[in-house]
Amino acid sequence: MTAALTLEGVSKRYGDFQAVRDLSFEVPKGSICGFLGPNGAGKTSTLRMILGLQPATAGKITILGADDGRRVRDRIGFLPEERGLYKKMTPVDAIAFFGSLKGLPLGEGRKRAREMLDAQGLGASKKKKMKELSKGMAQKVQLISSVVHRPEFVILDEPFSGLDPVNQQGLEQMIRGLAADGATVLFSTHVMQHAERLCDKVVLLARGRKAFEGTVAEARATSRRFLELEGSIAPDQAERLPGVTGVEIISDHDGVRVLKAAMAQGAHGQEALKAAFLTGLDVRRFELREPSLHDAFIDLTGDRPDVDQSVKPTGQEAAR
Amino acid sequence: MNRTFLIARREYAAYAKTVGFWLSLLAFPLFAVLGGALPILMRTSEPVRAVAIVEEGPAAQGLAAAIRESLQRDADRQAERAREAAEKAAKSGAPTAQPGMANGALAALSRPRLRLVPTPTTITSVTGEAQVEAVRAALSEERPKAERLDAVVFLTRKDGKPGARVWTARATDDTVEDFVRDAMKTANRQAVFGAAGIDASVVEQTERFRPEVTAYSPKAAEGGQVSMRDRLPVFIGLGGGFLLWSLIITGASILLNSVMEEKSNKILEVLLSSASATEILAGKVLGVALLTLTVLVAWGGIGAVGLLTTVPDVAYDIGQVLVHGGLIGWFVAFMVGGYLMYAVLFAAIGSFCETPRDAQTLMGPIMMILVVPMITMQMAIRTPDAPLVTILSLVPFFTPFLMMARLPSDPPMIELIGAMAGMFVFVLLMVWVSGRAFRAGALSDVKLSWKSFGAAIRGGGN
Repeated sequence: MTAALTLEGVSKRYGDFQAVRDLSFEVPKGSICGFLGPNGAGKTSTLRMILGLQPATAGKITILGADDGRRVRDRIGFLPEERGLYKKMTPVDAIAFFGSLKGLPLGEGRKRAREMLDAQGLGASKKKKMKELSKGMAQKVQLISSVVHRPEFVILDEPFSGLDPVNQQGLEQMIRGLAADGATVLFSTHVMQHAERLCDKVVLLARGRKAFEGTVAEARATSRRFLELEGSIAPDQAERLPGVTGVEIISDHDGVRVLKAAMAQGAHGQEALKAAFLTGLDVRRFELREPSLHDAFIDLTGDRPDVDQSVKPTGQEAAR
Repeated sequence: MNRTFLIARREYAAYAKTVGFWLSLLAFPLFAVLGGALPILMRTSEPVRAVAIVEEGPAAQGLAAAIRESLQRDADRQAERAREAAEKAAKSGAPTAQPGMANGALAALSRPRLRLVPTPTTITSVTGEAQVEAVRAALSEERPKAERLDAVVFLTRKDGKPGARVWTARATDDTVEDFVRDAMKTANRQAVFGAAGIDASVVEQTERFRPEVTAYSPKAAEGGQVSMRDRLPVFIGLGGGFLLWSLIITGASILLNSVMEEKSNKILEVLLSSASATEILAGKVLGVALLTLTVLVAWGGIGAVGLLTTVPDVAYDIGQVLVHGGLIGWFVAFMVGGYLMYAVLFAAIGSFCETPRDAQTLMGPIMMILVVPMITMQMAIRTPDAPLVTILSLVPFFTPFLMMARLPSDPPMIELIGAMAGMFVFVLLMVWVSGRAFRAGALSDVKLSWKSFGAAIRGGGN
C-alpha cells in the first residue's frame, strides 16, 4: 500500500525546547491512523508541521506526494484541537466559506453543507447562528467544514475532546465514513479507546519521540497479559503464584488491595488461580486481562493516558 | 475565487451586514448637522430674561437710560449683522428657498437675551431688609411664571463711578450680570469722554467703526485679492487630514478587533490550514479597506448632496480644488499608504491578542504616536514651512496626515515626492514586518510584549 504521508527524521525545536525529536513514520493511503501520546508529547506540533503551518527544524515530510503541506492544502482537511467558527454565521454559510477556501464553489459548498448537516441530524439548525448551537453541534459543524471539499487526507487534532459519549460515537461513524469514501485519516488523541476501535495503525509519541508504530494488535502485543487480583493479599504472596513475574499495587484500602500481576509469556491464568485457592489466599476477585492499547501505552511511554469512563475495557476474563 | 478575495468578502460582509455599522456610518453626518444647528437650537430655546432695574438714589440717575440704550445698540448691531449675512448669502447665489431658512436661523441668533420690565412697586416702595425680601419674593419660583422676574438690577454710583448689584433667580446664570457690566462700562466711558468735552455721538461713531481690511496674496486666484475660494484648499487640506486620520484609525481598529476575535475563537488556525498568512492578512486588510471606502463614499456623498443643495457655488469650488488642484490624487495616495501602514501593524498586534487588554502593551505607544499629527496639523496649515512641521511630515508615521495638511500651501515638490516615496518604502517594510509577526502570532500562545513581538519578527513565526 502506498503511503499518503511520510515523515523522515523530523524534529521541531522552539528556542531551547525540543518538541519533536527525529520522528519517522508512514500513514498508508486510505487508512485510519491514530497519533497517540500524552499531553505535551508533540502531537500538535507534528500535525502543524505536516500541514506546513510550521516548518520542521530538521527532517523531511511528504504528504500526498508534496514536500510541503501548503502545496496540497486544498486536498487536505484539518480540524484543529481548539475549535472555533464565526459566531454570527449560519452553519451553512460557515461550511460553504471554509469549503470555498479549499476551492469548492460557494453554491456547491452550500448544497453539500445542507446535505451533510441533514445527514448528521442538524437539519433543523441550518438557519441558526453558530453561537446558538450546542458545543457538540458546533463541533460537528466544524468537522463538516473541514471535510466538505472531500479531501484526500483528513487531519483531526483531538477530535473527541469535549464531546459526550453519544457525539463521540457519531464522530467515530463519521471518521469510518471518511475512510470508506477513500480518504486517509490521521487523528491525534490521548484517549486510547477511540484509537483501539478505529485505527488500522497507531503511532505512539512520548516526550517528542516515537515510542511505537504499528497496528493496534501489534501495540497490544508489546504488553504482557496480567492478572488483576483483589483481596487481603500481600504482594509477595501474589509474586509466588505460578507464571507471575512482577506485582504492582493498584490500590490499598485497609489491607484490601487490588494487585496487578504481570504474567510470563505462555503462562496460564488458571494455574495461578488454582494455586491461589490451594494456598488459601483471600481472593475476592480474580481477572485475567489481555493487554489493551491503554496498557501498551503505559508500558511504552511510562505515562498514564486519560481514560474515557464512558467506554468499557475489552478482552476481559473475570472470575469471582 | 481567489482566497484573498473570499476572506475580504467575508470580512466586509461581517461588518456591513450589521445594523451597528450603518448606524455609526450615518451618525457622523447626523452629528455634524446637529453640531451646526446646536447653537441656533440653544439660542432659540433660551428664554428671554425678564429684568427689572432700580436706580438707587439720585446719584444713580441716568444709569437706567444707559442700560436701555445698551439694549437698543445690541438690537441694532444684531439686525445689521443679519442684514449683512443675508446680502452675502444672496451674492453667493444660494437657492431662493434657502434665504428664508437662513433668515430664520439669523433671527433666532439675533433674539435679545433679556427684556426690561416695569419694576414692581413692592420693591421700589420699601428699603433695607424689606426690599431684599421683596426681591426674593419677585424672583421666587413659587410665583406664577407670568409675574416672576429673572433678575433685579440695582444701579448705583460710588465715587462718581457707575456700579450695580444684580439679583438673579439662578445663581449660575451670569447673562444679566455680564450685560449690566458692559452697559456700565459704556456709560462710564461716555461720561469720561463727555467730561473731556467729547460729544457722545462721536464716541458712539468711534465705537461702531469697523475698518475694511482686504487681504492680498500673489498666490490668490484673481487679481491678488484673497477670497474664500483661495482659502478653500486650506480648509480642505485640514479637513482631509482629519478625515484621513479618523478613517485610518477606524479601519485599523476594526482590523485589530477582527483579528483578535478570530484569534480568541481559534479560527485563525483553521484559516491558516486553508490559506497562507499573506493571503489572510491581505484579505482582511482589503475587506476592511472596502469598509472604509464605503464609509468615505457615504460621508462624501452625503456631504456633496448637502453642499450642492444648500451652497452649490461652494460645492463647485470644492470640486475645482479637489480635481484641478490635484488634491484628490494626493488624498488617495496618502489614504492608501497611511491605511496600509497602520492596518498591517494593527492586524499583526491583533494576531497575538485574545482580548483588548492583551493589546494594550503595544497600542499605548502607537496611540501616542498617532496623537502627534493631530496636534501638529493645525500648525501645518498656518506655518507649513516651520522646521518642526517639515521634519515631522517627512517621518513616515506622520506623512499621510501632515502632508495632507501642508498640501494647500504648495510645499516643495521634492519634499512631497520624497515624503511619498519614504512613506511607501516604509509601508513595504511594515507589510514585511507585520506579515512575519502575524504568521507567528496566529499560532502562538505567547503573551504579547515588545520582546515577543520582536522575536516573532526576527523568527517569522518559525
